[in-house]
Amino acid sequence: MNKYFIKAQDFETFVTKLVEAKQVIGPVAKKSRFVFEKLKNSKELRLDYDVTVLPPKKEFFPTCQPIVKFEGDKFEGCVNVEEKILFGVHFYDIKALDMTDLLYNENHRDINYMAHREAATIVGSNVQNIAERAFFGTVGVHVKPKGHDAFLTKIDDGYLFETYTDKGEALVSFGTFTKAKKEHESNALDVNNRVMGKCPEVLDYVGYESVANKVRKAFNNTAFWEDCAKDCFSCGSCNIVCPTCYCFDVQDNWNVDQVSGTRTRKWDGCLTEDFAKISLGFGAQENFREKRGDRFRHRIMRKTTYLNAKLGGPACVGCGRCSMSCTSDIADPVNVINKIMEV
Amino acid sequence: MSKPKVGFFDFASCEGCQIELTNYGDAAFVELLNHIDIVEFREAMTETAEHLTIACIEGSFTREADRGRLENIRERSDIVIAYGACASTAGVNALKNHQKDFRKDVYGEDRNMPHLYSNDRAVPISEVIKVDYNVYGCPMDKYEFLDIVSHLVHGKEPVIPNHPVCIECKHNETICRYFEGDHCLGPVARAGCRAPCPADGIPCEACRGFVDNPNEEAMEKVLIKKGKLPEARAKHKSRIFTAFCRSDA
Repeated sequence: MNKYFIKAQDFETFVTKLVEAKQVIGPVAKKSRFVFEKLKNSKELRLDYDVTVLPPKKEFFPTCQPIVKFEGDKFEGCVNVEEKILFGVHFYDIKALDMTDLLYNENHRDINYMAHREAATIVGSNVQNIAERAFFGTVGVHVKPKGHDAFLTKIDDGYLFETYTDKGEALVSFGTFTKAKKEHESNALDVNNRVMGKCPEVLDYVGYESVANKVRKAFNNTAFWEDCAKDCFSCGSCNIVCPTCYCFDVQDNWNVDQVSGTRTRKWDGCLTEDFAKISLGFGAQENFREKRGDRFRHRIMRKTTYLNAKLGGPACVGCGRCSMSCTSDIADPVNVINKIMEV
Repeated sequence: MSKPKVGFFDFASCEGCQIELTNYGDAAFVELLNHIDIVEFREAMTETAEHLTIACIEGSFTREADRGRLENIRERSDIVIAYGACASTAGVNALKNHQKDFRKDVYGEDRNMPHLYSNDRAVPISEVIKVDYNVYGCPMDKYEFLDIVSHLVHGKEPVIPNHPVCIECKHNETICRYFEGDHCLGPVARAGCRAPCPADGIPCEACRGFVDNPNEEAMEKVLIKKGKLPEARAKHKSRIFTAFCRSDA
C-alpha cells in the first residue's frame, strides 16, 4: 500500500502509544534467549533479537490450549479470540505463518487457529542479529514472505514502515510518520538483501527440487537414517520449536466432580516414540514409526519433500530453531541435506 | 454405576505421596470421596476389604517377607495402581542395590543390625505382581493421580506420557538448562509433571523415571560434552531416581 518513514527518536513514542491502546505481542528477552510476549511497555521490545525460542504461531494456537469445556452431555467451545498486534516478526516466521495459514485453512478448517489469525495484525521487522544456526539465506529463497500487514526495516536514522493492508495502514495514526523518500526505500532494500548473505549456515544446494528428489531417493537407505538418529532422544524438541510444524494431540480430562471437564490440545511432535502409535482395537497397538531412524527420516521428508507441491517450496524457512534446541545436535537440516546431496 | 472400592497400601517409602493426596485440599478430597469408596487405608481406618476395584500401592518392594502381602492385594483387586516413584520405578530406594556403604554412613553404630544384611534388592511393585497403571514422580503428581482414577471411574484408558520432559519445557518456553551452561536429565526423563524444575532453573533429575526407551548413551555424551560433568559423574548421574530404570540395574 504505502511506504512511510519514522525517525529513530520518534519510534519509542510510536510503540508506547500502540502498547497503551492495543494488545501488542513482541520479542522480549528471557534469560539468554528471546520469546514473544505481551509487551508491558516499549522498553521491553527487543527488535535486535536473533530468534525466539518458540515461533509466533503460539499466539494463534497456544502450546496447551483448552478448546472445549464439558459438563455431562453439554459442551461449549472455550477459545477466546482477542485482537492483537504481533510486532517485530522476522520474514522467515512470516513465511512460516503463511504456510500454517494454508495448512490450517484447508480441508477440516481449524476454526480456533483461523479465528485468532484473522483477529491479528502482523508487523514484520528486519533481522538485525542473526541466530547462530540460521540458514534462511539458502532455503526456499524463491518463496516470498506474505500474509503480513506491515513491515518495519531499521535504516540509518530511523525506520522504513511499509503497509500492505488496511490493518497495517491503521497503525500509522499512532506515530509521527512521513512519506518515505526513495533513499529510505533503497536503504531498506539493501538492508534486507544483505542479511540473506550473512547466515552462519549454508545449504550447499539451493535448488529445492533437486534436494527433494535426492532426499526421496535416500528413503530406503535405512543405515543412513539410523546413523543420523543414533543420538536422538525422541524428545520432539525439533518439532515443537519448528514454525512450520502443526501437529497436536487432544485429551479430555475430568474435574474432580467427575461430571465436568476440559478438552485440551497440545503441540505434539512426530519425533516422539508414541506419536505414530495407533490402536488396532481389542487392546492391541501398532507403531508405524517404531525406530528412531524412521522418525528422524519422517521429519526430514516432511520438511524437504512431502509438502512441497502444496506450499510451493520446502516446509522449512531456515530459522535454525531445531538445530539450537537439539541437545544432541543432530537435528540440523543443513547437515543432513548436505550429507545426502554429497552421495 | 456403583462407586469403585479403593484401597491404599504402603511399602518402603516416606509416605510423602499420601501427603500429596491430601494436598488437594479438603473440599476437593471430600468431592473425590463422592465418587469412590475408600475401603482399606491403614493410616486412616482399621477395616479391611475382601474385594477392591482399585488398589493403590505406595512404596518399593524391598524385602522378601512382603511378597505374600503384595500377592494378597493383587488377588483381591481388579486394578492395581503403583503410585509414586518408589512403587513405580523403585525410586531412590534402588540406590541400595549397587552399594554397601550405606550401613556405616546411615546407621553408624547400629550398622550390624541383622536385617541390614539381607541381599534383597529394592524393586518396583511391577517386579512382584502385575501392575496396571503407574503414577510416576517423587512425589507423585496429585493431578495425574486424579486424572488416572477419573479415567478408570469412566471406564477409559488413562494416557500416561512416554515422551521426555524436554517437550514440556518447550511448551512452557523454558530456556533449556544446557543453554544456561547447566546440565539436565530431561532428555531421558518421562514427562507428565509439566516440567516445573527447569522452569525454576533447576535441572531435571528424572524423578518420574525414564521414558520407555531412553537413549542412555547419548545422555552420557551430552552430560560430558554440554553439561561439562566429569566422566564418572556423567556415567552415574541418573542413578538418584532411576537406578532401577538404567540398563545396568
